[in-house]
Amino acid sequence: MRCNYTFLKCQASKLERYIIHYTFAIASTMALLACSSRPSAIPATFTELTDSATVYPDYRDVTIPPNIAPLNFMVTDASASEFVAEVGGIVCGANKDGKFDIDTIAWRQLLAGSKGKDVRVNVYAHRENGWVQQPAFSFHVAAEDIDGYLSYRLIEPGYELYRQIGLYQRNLTNFTQTTIYENNRTFDGGKNHCVNCHNYQNYDTERMLFHVRAAHGGTVVTHGSKAHKIAIKHDSILAAGVYPSWHPTLPLVAFSTNKTGQVFHLLHPEKIEVLDTESDLILYDADRNEVKNVLRTTDFLETFPCWTPDGRRLFYCSARVPQYDAPTLDVGLTTRYDSLLYDIYSMSFDPETRSFGEPRLEVDASSKGMSCSVPRISPDGRYLLYTLGQYGQFHIWHKTADLWVKTLNDDSLDVSEENCYPLSAANSSDADSYHTWSSNGRWIVFSSRRDDGNFTRPYIAYFDQTGQAHRPFMLPQRDPEYNLLLLKSYNVPELTRSAVRVSIEELNHVVRHTEAELATFQGPAPEPLSGKGEASGQ
Amino acid sequence: MNSGKHKSPKSVKVQMADNFRKKQIAESSPKGVTAVRENSLFPLSILSLFTFFALSWLWAGWWMGDTLRIAYERSFFAADATLMHWLWQQSFGSLWILGRALLTLYHWPVVGGLLVASLLTAGSLLFGYCLRLPKRWRWIQYLPAGAWMIWVSWSGLDLFFMHEPGRILGIPLLAVLVCLMDAVIIWSFKRRRPASSSPTPNASRDGVRAGLFGLLVVVLLFLLPCLLLNQRHPYLRPLMRMQVQLLHDDYAGMSATAHENASLSYRPLAAYYAVALTRQGTIAEQLFDVRLEYDSICVHDYDGDPDLGGNYYLIDCDYHSGLIRPAMHRAVEELTMDGPSLFTLKYLAKMSLIENDWALARKYFHILHQAPFEGEFLAKYEPMLDRPDLVQADPEFAGVLKAAPIQDSFESFYEKPCFLGYHAVTSSGRTMEALTLSVMANLYSKRMPDFLMRCQPFVGTTPPRSIAEGLITQTQKHPEILQAFPQLQMDAQRFRGFIQVAQNYMQDRPRGAEVLFNQFCGYYPYYYFFGNLRATRKSGDSEKEHSKAGVN
Repeated sequence: MRCNYTFLKCQASKLERYIIHYTFAIASTMALLACSSRPSAIPATFTELTDSATVYPDYRDVTIPPNIAPLNFMVTDASASEFVAEVGGIVCGANKDGKFDIDTIAWRQLLAGSKGKDVRVNVYAHRENGWVQQPAFSFHVAAEDIDGYLSYRLIEPGYELYRQIGLYQRNLTNFTQTTIYENNRTFDGGKNHCVNCHNYQNYDTERMLFHVRAAHGGTVVTHGSKAHKIAIKHDSILAAGVYPSWHPTLPLVAFSTNKTGQVFHLLHPEKIEVLDTESDLILYDADRNEVKNVLRTTDFLETFPCWTPDGRRLFYCSARVPQYDAPTLDVGLTTRYDSLLYDIYSMSFDPETRSFGEPRLEVDASSKGMSCSVPRISPDGRYLLYTLGQYGQFHIWHKTADLWVKTLNDDSLDVSEENCYPLSAANSSDADSYHTWSSNGRWIVFSSRRDDGNFTRPYIAYFDQTGQAHRPFMLPQRDPEYNLLLLKSYNVPELTRSAVRVSIEELNHVVRHTEAELATFQGPAPEPLSGKGEASGQ
Repeated sequence: MNSGKHKSPKSVKVQMADNFRKKQIAESSPKGVTAVRENSLFPLSILSLFTFFALSWLWAGWWMGDTLRIAYERSFFAADATLMHWLWQQSFGSLWILGRALLTLYHWPVVGGLLVASLLTAGSLLFGYCLRLPKRWRWIQYLPAGAWMIWVSWSGLDLFFMHEPGRILGIPLLAVLVCLMDAVIIWSFKRRRPASSSPTPNASRDGVRAGLFGLLVVVLLFLLPCLLLNQRHPYLRPLMRMQVQLLHDDYAGMSATAHENASLSYRPLAAYYAVALTRQGTIAEQLFDVRLEYDSICVHDYDGDPDLGGNYYLIDCDYHSGLIRPAMHRAVEELTMDGPSLFTLKYLAKMSLIENDWALARKYFHILHQAPFEGEFLAKYEPMLDRPDLVQADPEFAGVLKAAPIQDSFESFYEKPCFLGYHAVTSSGRTMEALTLSVMANLYSKRMPDFLMRCQPFVGTTPPRSIAEGLITQTQKHPEILQAFPQLQMDAQRFRGFIQVAQNYMQDRPRGAEVLFNQFCGYYPYYYFFGNLRATRKSGDSEKEHSKAGVN
């Protein structure tokens, strides 16, 4: 019976392959036919227009790295039947759909020769009365490369349920997207699981981790091409690790451990509130599989840990639990959701003794009625990049969330506003958050809902020597319409210098067929502290 | 000269003998038998085939037409790799995509029905050809089509709700393709007709019998799924009818369908009935005109476990009761679990317009542009982009906004399901319509103190029928109601009459519900004492406990 079933499955998959092959063959032929009709030369005569055409994605006046994939774009002009674009000397044509597919080799040559220069783009549209020229635009090519790989999670910008989600890695120099790990393509309630919070050690893929929730739960930690699954669970620890940060050199991960819930507004412009009712910080030793508390408090909520590049300080966000008048903490915090204001603190860290110093206020947002989240330190240690919003910490659902920077001075206790400023050129009127630095500190990638207010897209911005961000651009796609049609959000973009080394087969095996190894709790269980918190291990 | 007229007796004899021999050979040869049987079977087999085609069309275009029309709405097909990628990568995804492509013809159920009839007829012919069936067994060729129809009837809402709608036509399409390939192979290698069975003296009569039997099988094949559907999913056709009527804003038609099926008691029917009444502004007059007891519907979740099916109608209900955000919430959840569907995309587009979220609405319209046959929807709603005045002027949107909450809160603070829970607890609204919804939600939930509290604005007016009857129900405990609403004195007499009759069934309410239904259906006191018993059974008679019951 088993053999027959296998045979049937085999036959079915063969049939499916045939269908796919024939469909592809037909589609390819059609595509070839379509391509062959595209115009390929700049029109000799044309009329110049003054009104700008609608270009998607909007690459006007952006700064791009010299190793980025072609900025394919589409132009919308209902009255045009075909288009021609001249991108810094590269001529390409488009049909009525206005989609330009720039030749990759020519593009690379163009960028190699344009470092530090502007590239001008002319677009011509063929209308009923002849060719017209849209107003030209240009983009600037920076001198510094961006890291070659961007990994992210693709998930519906949903609420509570999840079905098909995965971690993916995009080669930024071309359009190749590879799967790091996917949960299940066909739904299986018993095996359904969520993956989140992927994180790498110092832009390298030698060590990475991500969490698996629900079925097959645990934290998957990789070392080179090998992976294993661990479980962080102990009476002395609030909950499993959530937001991670790898120590830049040691096999240590600082996690926040959060009890998180979400509620849904009936009218408020922000659709969703994600709230922590409790949160602490823990430290996990990946080599010893040991875990210990770093900060355990009841009056404060600590989250979003982040190491400095030298590994000698740990930044994190902390908020005082507001007073509430409600029967339970959950309801109380929900009613006071807009009173949760997070500041950024840091603690010194001694790598020898693995102990932390006293918390130090880095950004005082709460006193101004604002709230910070996601602190990220630039690789040169000079800048603290964070999100500032009106309240709370889950700023990716807050329209007021913008990217801010604080300049860091050695041993500075200065929390004055002069050191903090918004990255106005990069920010939008919608949520901008979950940012990451490139390893050379010249690029930042962040998630933004600026496109439609609902679906996050990765945006890349140049961060110059003076500490200012330039106008960002959306991650380019081969089909420029891709992000208009995609019904998933990009979560937590993370840059790495190299591709992930562990294979999807290894991760599949570890997630689905191995039990999570319980991390050993190290040290005495500290009593919950009612104050601002004391660092453990001192 | 030797003419035929002058044959010798010997030659005549020989010729007669030849003729006789030829006749004998002709009668005894298989070919002769086939010819005779073919002559007798030809009209019947053709009649069977035409009957099969006609009944298929009738079944798929009319009997199941609304169901498959809604299946089309709960499906999505676009000739775009990005949009179909999620389905493409699943097992048999390409087949399901083709199935969805065929289902798009159900934009017009008659055309969709024609397609299904053609598929089934062609599939049956090919199946018969592949099996090399003798003519007397030809009726077997219709069995796979019959099995598919039985599967469709057996599945009910499981055809598309929480299950892949591409299967509906993907499976018959695959069957036809397999049969077609098989037939081509057979035809290529064996062009001769199959040998017939050995002749029998009663071949002609047998042939007629076989033909008639085939015809009978064809008719039975259509009766069986129809009976099965009515037995297993009696709510399905009225429910689908109401949903199609909702697509065409035919709220009066929805009410009429509900009244025609007033004795059926299923939550989805009641929910869409409430939607129709809300839109018509007659909810306070007619809500209790149908039976509200709620038998279980036959729905299964993603894993095949029985499900209450509440999520099937919540988006519609939330939306039409003014709860845009909860409706969006559920639409996004459905999009996450089932992939995009016309149903969710259209709702998301409309709700984004209501929220003046133009960029998001633009995205959903852009995606809907990729779907075939949705020009009418786009022509109606796309011009509203960036035009709040047009949004406000749209009657449907205006109706929805009238009932919308005026104060922010969280979904989780309301009882489930949100659309009812919200209106049950809300005490402030921007319009009288919103207050009426709240009053009716409390009447429905039998939360009488909350109901009475919200009746204050009706003092000095003639309250709508159900509200008046609700007040009458409370006059025994609160005689002061008659002072506030003196016109209710007229109704008090009827209430006393009802109580006299109802008294006999107070100890056996399920029986009372059955016996008194025809006499008192639509009368609120009847609902109060005998309606919605399953949801309120555990609560006893106390009002406080009634209010906790998870009705609906």
